[in-house]
Amino acid sequence: MRKEIKIALPTYKVLYSAAFFVILSLVRTVVYADEIGIAMEAPASALAAVFCADTYLMEIHSRRREVFRLYDEKRQARAVRRRLAAQILYLTALSALGYAMFYWQKPYDPVNAGLSETALFGISIAAIAGSIFFWGVLSMTVCNLFRNQWAGIGAALVLWTVLSSRAGDRMLGNWNAFSFTFRTIEEGMDFGWLYGKSLTILAAAVLLAMVPYILKKRG
Amino acid sequence: MSIKIRNLTVTFKNGVTAVNHADLEIPSGVFGLLGENGAGKTTLMRVLTTALKPTAGEVTLNGIPYSESNYNRIRSRIGYLPQEIDLYPNLTVQECLEYMGELSGVEIRECRRRIGEYLERTSLTEHRRKKMRQLSGGMKRRVGLIQALLNEPEFLIVDEPTTGLDPEERIRIRNLLVEFSENRTVLFSTHVVEDLAATCSRLAVMKKGNFLYSGSARELLGMVRGKVWDCCVSDEEAAGRLERAYLVSAKQYADSGVRLRIISEKKPQNTSACMPCEATLEDAYIYVSNRNAQTE
Repeated sequence: MRKEIKIALPTYKVLYSAAFFVILSLVRTVVYADEIGIAMEAPASALAAVFCADTYLMEIHSRRREVFRLYDEKRQARAVRRRLAAQILYLTALSALGYAMFYWQKPYDPVNAGLSETALFGISIAAIAGSIFFWGVLSMTVCNLFRNQWAGIGAALVLWTVLSSRAGDRMLGNWNAFSFTFRTIEEGMDFGWLYGKSLTILAAAVLLAMVPYILKKRG
Repeated sequence: MSIKIRNLTVTFKNGVTAVNHADLEIPSGVFGLLGENGAGKTTLMRVLTTALKPTAGEVTLNGIPYSESNYNRIRSRIGYLPQEIDLYPNLTVQECLEYMGELSGVEIRECRRRIGEYLERTSLTEHRRKKMRQLSGGMKRRVGLIQALLNEPEFLIVDEPTTGLDPEERIRIRNLLVEFSENRTVLFSTHVVEDLAATCSRLAVMKKGNFLYSGSARELLGMVRGKVWDCCVSDEEAAGRLERAYLVSAKQYADSGVRLRIISEKKPQNTSACMPCEATLEDAYIYVSNRNAQTE
């Protein structure tokens, strides 16, 4: 796994992703602690779509593909999944750090007294992790299908724009990928947003299961 | 161990035919593949590595037909060094080779043993802790070759393996390939005729998707024997006349004038100082390439 981490997380990616969260915590205003997760979910998803796009495509860009495709298909898929896992875990850990950075703004205690700040942090990071997983896998899958990084990033960002809009919220409600962002924070114990989150995780798992097939056909 | 190619044709979507009804048998040992840029060598190698499906024709590896159902079996028997490859820049040489060895399915201890051995044989042992991006072009080429050898493939395909190497390293790599070819097949594609002369007993010459020659290097040399002339003329104008009239494989400015190495069935005319000389594989390659061009 150490080698996959070094492959999937080059210095430039670490630097721009860290800068992204620093800037986000500076420019995105939050008043209550409940809003930190809301402020982070959609931007973190967009970051994941860009970050994970070249998970396999790097083999094509670096002209290693013709050697890589000689390997056993299961090992190819495992290598790609490990790289993806390294990136998703990294982005999740960075999100947790990014969450803490928002406390520079000294937000008020959560609106909903039923949730402690620790619980709110845990729930937010879990929801953000689910989003990172979905958008990362989606972007990588489209990239692999079209063998073009911009196709993957572009398609993911078009969908992101639709789903993160008010129209997306009205259309899909609790089934939206960003249902966590659109939830009513005063109703902290309403976990209806889990429907949308579960759906996106399921969709990502299906896309992930298709990795060997896509590598075989389009690799 | 042999690879048989029958009536192989590769036509791209844009209508360009890169390999045209080619027949070839590649036996054990080092087999050279020679040809100008765009001759179809890389396309042929991409077919042999299963990266490209041919438009028509048959290929078998040790009797296993190249069909999608057999690709996994075939791929596990192949090692490949492409002409251009950027290995993982953030990994050290050791890590990069271990990673690629693991992906090839080589057990880690055996993989490390082989890496140690090949690093030693390619003079890279002292660089094993360096990151790939810190290596020179020649070193990267050697690491690329090691990754192709790690799974001890039955069929090794190397595309320009000596590019960017200094003379001593070229000799080491050539010797490594020869040693590796015992009971195996190595397809050695290069522009450097000297490399083939030093390693191959059999070779093929490709041009515009066709094989102009396939057979032993000795027979190829035999084709041009007695047809190579070392001529000396006094000035550039006379040299120009000879260049227009004959195939010239080498030109050199000497104290006595201009020396030309001419390939011709008969002794070149219009020059007094012209002596027959020993043919090289390069002369033979130029002769075969142009002989067929003239008959086309």
